[in-house]
Amino acid sequence: MNNNLRKKATGGMALMLVLMSLAGCGSGSKETTTQPTQETPTTKTETDQPKEETKDAPAAEPKVSGDFEIQYFVGGYGDAWWKEMLGEFQKKYPDVKIKESAGSQINEQMKPRWIQGNPPDLVYIDGAGSNETQMVKDDQLMDITDWVKQAKNVDGEALTDPLIAPPQDYGGKNYTIPLVFGSWGTFYDESLFKEKGWDVPKDWDSFLAVSDKIKAAGINPYIHTGKYPYYIVGGLLNSGFVSENGDNPQILKDQEANKEGSFKNDAVAKTLQKLVDMRDKGFFDNASFGITHTDSQMLFLQHKDAMIPNGLWLENEMKKDMPQGFKFGFIPSVMQNPGGKYIAIPYTSNIAIAKKAKNPEAAKAFVEFIFTKKAAVRWAELTGALMNVKADLESSGASDVVKTAMKYFNGSDTIVAPVFKLNADLEQAENDATIALLQKTITPEEWMDRMEKTAAKSR
Amino acid sequence: MINLDKKPKAGYAARRRLFIAGFLLPTFILFCVFTVYPLLRGLYLSFFDWSGGSETMNFIGFGNYKDLMNDDIIPTAIKNDYFLVFWKVILIMLLATFFAVSLTRLKLREYGFYRVIFFFPNIISVAVIGVLWSFIYNPHLGFLNSFLSLFTRKPVETNWLGDSHLAMWSLLPPSVWAGIGFYMLLIIASILGIPSSLYEAAGIDGAGQWKQFTKITLPLIWEQFKTSIIHIVITTLNGSFIIVKLMTDGGPDNQTQVLGYYLYQMGFKQFHLSYGATIGVLILILSIITTLILQRLLRRDTIEM
Repeated sequence: MNNNLRKKATGGMALMLVLMSLAGCGSGSKETTTQPTQETPTTKTETDQPKEETKDAPAAEPKVSGDFEIQYFVGGYGDAWWKEMLGEFQKKYPDVKIKESAGSQINEQMKPRWIQGNPPDLVYIDGAGSNETQMVKDDQLMDITDWVKQAKNVDGEALTDPLIAPPQDYGGKNYTIPLVFGSWGTFYDESLFKEKGWDVPKDWDSFLAVSDKIKAAGINPYIHTGKYPYYIVGGLLNSGFVSENGDNPQILKDQEANKEGSFKNDAVAKTLQKLVDMRDKGFFDNASFGITHTDSQMLFLQHKDAMIPNGLWLENEMKKDMPQGFKFGFIPSVMQNPGGKYIAIPYTSNIAIAKKAKNPEAAKAFVEFIFTKKAAVRWAELTGALMNVKADLESSGASDVVKTAMKYFNGSDTIVAPVFKLNADLEQAENDATIALLQKTITPEEWMDRMEKTAAKSR
Repeated sequence: MINLDKKPKAGYAARRRLFIAGFLLPTFILFCVFTVYPLLRGLYLSFFDWSGGSETMNFIGFGNYKDLMNDDIIPTAIKNDYFLVFWKVILIMLLATFFAVSLTRLKLREYGFYRVIFFFPNIISVAVIGVLWSFIYNPHLGFLNSFLSLFTRKPVETNWLGDSHLAMWSLLPPSVWAGIGFYMLLIIASILGIPSSLYEAAGIDGAGQWKQFTKITLPLIWEQFKTSIIHIVITTLNGSFIIVKLMTDGGPDNQTQVLGYYLYQMGFKQFHLSYGATIGVLILILSIITTLILQRLLRRDTIEM
């Protein structure tokens, strides 16, 4: 009898397993087969939409209605600006029913819906778990190439005209529009430099000279965020690549496109050599390795270190911990040879319409609604950061560092590199290799070989 | 007579079967939904090329497994995993047994107090432990360097988590510290189950504390001892992800990479979810093999009291 029970139980278990695995297969194959059939109608409507809009553009405006869902990440910039913009948008289009999917974990929360093909209409891509390059690769975003060219904002200006960084180029197509604009660079304490009589570096030679002085004064010249090496890659290395490439930022776009040789060439070799020189002169704070951005920034604020590679969000982020008299200074780049131009390496956070948006009209209307100078000033005031629209910020509440940066971007001595983003594999490999180089476990030659190998694998 | 005998038996058997099924079925269903299904689903995913975000998956057969063989980071991760397993088993079992024996056999007056103190790390969330130890290790502001600086002329500025040779060793103290309490309690419980008459008899026969430990305590707690070791091995292979995620992110340059964190990094940070699933299969295989080998190695004749 016991045997009988066991037999039945094992039989049941086996049946269960088979059913389970079948269920797995079933859902999997469904995912693969439904894709092509659904793809055709969406692409059709996409190509039709711009035409439709141009035909009845004036009449189209009040047509905005129905459900409109927006997904936005809430992080360092808060959600005050979003609430305000959505509130005004609602007033202008009372027929629209807005649904906000927002929060600091929203990217993870919404992921299942993107996978199931039920995404929100509009998405602001920022924060942990988001990567626009990956979203384009996964075919989740709407091709807006034609629309963005002729779209006008609510003030009647062409949408792309006042943008600081144009929509990112993916093999001739646009899927995203940068909403937040910022730049990497080197930060220092203006008061400390003034007090000690140190010259603010203008190029590589003066950077080395002042670092010598700082080291002699018993302070570490340079600290970086070793646990997240993309800070030193963004704030130091990338600008060096452009400088050594004859001020031509194409090298970064080539790296983004995985082109052969884009990580192994003269410009990269010379830049890495500069990094090695810095390392061998002992300019890096040994504490850099393994510490987080918060820790490295705290050490910088405590004057244990004189300079730090970082992004324009730094002042806002550290506002609460700033010692008295501390004054943030910003230089876009230090790796340029004497006489060379500053290189500003931008970072952006983008906004995009979902390929499977149920209400693309409302999404487009909202994009047209927010890309205005007025909204840009409000963004600067509410977040202390820069929105990707050229606006007069002097009178606004934007932080001083942001205003200084704006002056650099508008000046003729600075080259603003195009927005680029390496795929996640390359980014990880570059982070690892750079740390290994700084720890003397690999040579510049090995750095380049590692990167080329990873790039070849991604192709 | 035969008839009378059989009838109640059949009814009894049916009821008994129903009774057993009543306990088995719900558990079995939950087990299938939460363990068997994810396991099979993971196995299934490992044969695809899927980013984790797209609606489509491409079947690539053993492609992920081939990549796994050629991945330079995998050997480092396996090495680090077993580094942790080896040292955690030795240190945790040594310390936990030591504390358990001293607390029970040496008749300390502060027994209750120490038991709470040693168990304390187990109640603290692992996230807090990670942050706490990151502060201890901080090169400029950390407690450890400040403490060591008391004994040296020049301030100590060792970068415990950032140095490629030290980082892996630095992960050990928090993992051990966080683990001792639980195993100590297990061993205390089994020591308390040993009749004190055995020790009294041994004492009369002239056996010292050490002899009593090796001849009485250890053989009688061996089952708990074995269970503890296997539990440490399994939780380390599956769970060292947390301590790595909190303290180093696998850095510097993958020197503290473990399979669990590499799975997370590949699946969720580098958008190769199916490759992550493949790493999961590898972890499963390694766990099974290690457990089987350990079962063999630790086998002893059970000693009945």
